[in-house]
Amino acid sequence: MTPKHSEESSVTTTSIKPQETPDTAPKARKPTWRHSGKAFLFVLPTFLVLGVFVYFPIIESFRLSLNRVAPFGGKEIFVGLNNYTRLLSSPQFWGTVKVSIFFMVGTVVFAIGFAVAIAILLSIPLKRFSWYYRTAIFIPVVISSAIAGVLFRLLYNPVVGFFNYWLSLIGIDGPNWLTSSTWSLVAVTITVVWRQLGFNVIIALAGIQQIDAQLYEAAKVDGAGAMRRIWHVTLPMLTPTLFFLLVVNVITSLQAFGEINILTDGGPGKATTNIVYQVFVDGFVGTHFVGRASAQAFLLALLIIGISIAQFKGFSKKVHYQ
Amino acid sequence: MTTADMTAADAQSTPLTVELEHDAEPTKRRFGELPIHLSLLIIGLIIAVPIIVAFFMSFTPLPEIVGRSDPKILPDTWTLENYDKAWRASPFPRYMLNSFIQTGVITIAQVLLSILAGFAFAMFEFRGKAILFSILIGSLIIPFELTFIPNFLLVSDLGLANTYAGLTIPFLASAFGVFMMRQFFMSIPRDLYDAAKIDGASDWFYLWRIMVPLSKGAISAFTIFAFLAAWNQYLWPLVITNEESMRTAQIGLRFFLVNQERATDWGAIMAGAMIVMIPTLIVFLVAQRQLVKGIAMTGLKG
Repeated sequence: MTPKHSEESSVTTTSIKPQETPDTAPKARKPTWRHSGKAFLFVLPTFLVLGVFVYFPIIESFRLSLNRVAPFGGKEIFVGLNNYTRLLSSPQFWGTVKVSIFFMVGTVVFAIGFAVAIAILLSIPLKRFSWYYRTAIFIPVVISSAIAGVLFRLLYNPVVGFFNYWLSLIGIDGPNWLTSSTWSLVAVTITVVWRQLGFNVIIALAGIQQIDAQLYEAAKVDGAGAMRRIWHVTLPMLTPTLFFLLVVNVITSLQAFGEINILTDGGPGKATTNIVYQVFVDGFVGTHFVGRASAQAFLLALLIIGISIAQFKGFSKKVHYQ
Repeated sequence: MTTADMTAADAQSTPLTVELEHDAEPTKRRFGELPIHLSLLIIGLIIAVPIIVAFFMSFTPLPEIVGRSDPKILPDTWTLENYDKAWRASPFPRYMLNSFIQTGVITIAQVLLSILAGFAFAMFEFRGKAILFSILIGSLIIPFELTFIPNFLLVSDLGLANTYAGLTIPFLASAFGVFMMRQFFMSIPRDLYDAAKIDGASDWFYLWRIMVPLSKGAISAFTIFAFLAAWNQYLWPLVITNEESMRTAQIGLRFFLVNQERATDWGAIMAGAMIVMIPTLIVFLVAQRQLVKGIAMTGLKG
């Protein structure tokens, strides 16, 4: 789903080395095709599956995006970049882009912000109960988007749901979570943030625990209090982790689908229809517009791939701090 | 001094040293733990609330849920009828069976193929190795959105919609799994391989009898990832199945929600959600440490 962690890439480079200095002479020569046969048999099944279901569809997806595909019968007419130009001038497309950006900003700010705060609390050694807190906080990691959607659909329900009841206890008249076009965006964002939080805390906590304890000691000796230590030691040392979380959260939020499908079905109207959801609607609901769906999928994919590559590059520069 | 005295003194001295170690820290520290406990308790409860609410509501009788003016978390009377209803009214046994088959096939295939390819990339020198490896890693950044429409068309054209083959076939291999296995295999000293070779072991024998048992930790971590990702799949099973008998648990739950919500039967819906969630919750509770470590190390959650 997402590129690997910075830690991993450094592991790769160090562990490659012993293999590249072969201790037996014949290995230094370039392996022959005949010699390679056995290795090919080992990797063949993997590349067969990836070839048919990942590499080929990339090209096929682009080809489809250059065609208009008849809703029934699948007859194709080549239209060049027409699907793209029509998309870029369609207010509906930009509407889905806006929704995607809303989810993205909401997820990035809250899922990362809360996660870092929680991870700092969890990193303080406690004599007891630590395990219980962690269990409760990490649990959304194994929850599917469908389950998250169902659980929150109950909580948002105006009659039997709990959110508005709890809000009323503190004197707030709760909104129509799923039927107001503004609040439905918030409702979906809360659900996405909730599901993403456990993962973010795990990553942030791992990052915090790798920070050299001597830095804290030094800051303490210099008279820095807890807040100043967090601000001047933890957060700066955590930048590579935060950057990683940023990328993962941007990508995950752009791909939000299950929660939307269950909570709002993209509505009310098109209020919570993000790009992915529109791809699904165009491709699979009612009259199919496979060409247009593919064009949108391709634009979204370009964005996600771009972000992933930026992450790879950013990491190689930013990761070294000490 | 008698022996009894000595043991008493020993018993006392142990907590005493602990006490002393803590005194080295500022004394207000211990008092300072309380606010941390409190905040973590509140945060933990807030995060767990959706699951706690669902859990209790799944045991609450329907009249109680709709009849109360202010919602309560705990049921007044406990009932199992919601589970009975979910189990019967919607074919949940069938959904669960479908999910177990789909998840089982995907997980086993991904683990096996990843071990094979990971072994080749770790141990063999062959033509095109570097290029193949780059192509493999490159596929990690291809989002599913890009591939699922052509895959849908292909799988439907092959007549595999609404079949287990159709549910599983696009996911039988995992580039991430190959990468993870390769990384781990490369950390095993190559001398072991050379020694086994000298003793006349075949590559096949070495892989399954020596490498795999040594890599149990990494393999089980990847198995957990693969299992969770497959069980929690949503978009693909949604588009590739439209017959009720072939729906997976996640998709079945979605349609169960749509049907029962009209009847405001939230107890049954939550019972359904609990049933679908239970396998992943079990995995989480049993393998939490391993799962968390795996996520922290790879930055992936399957």
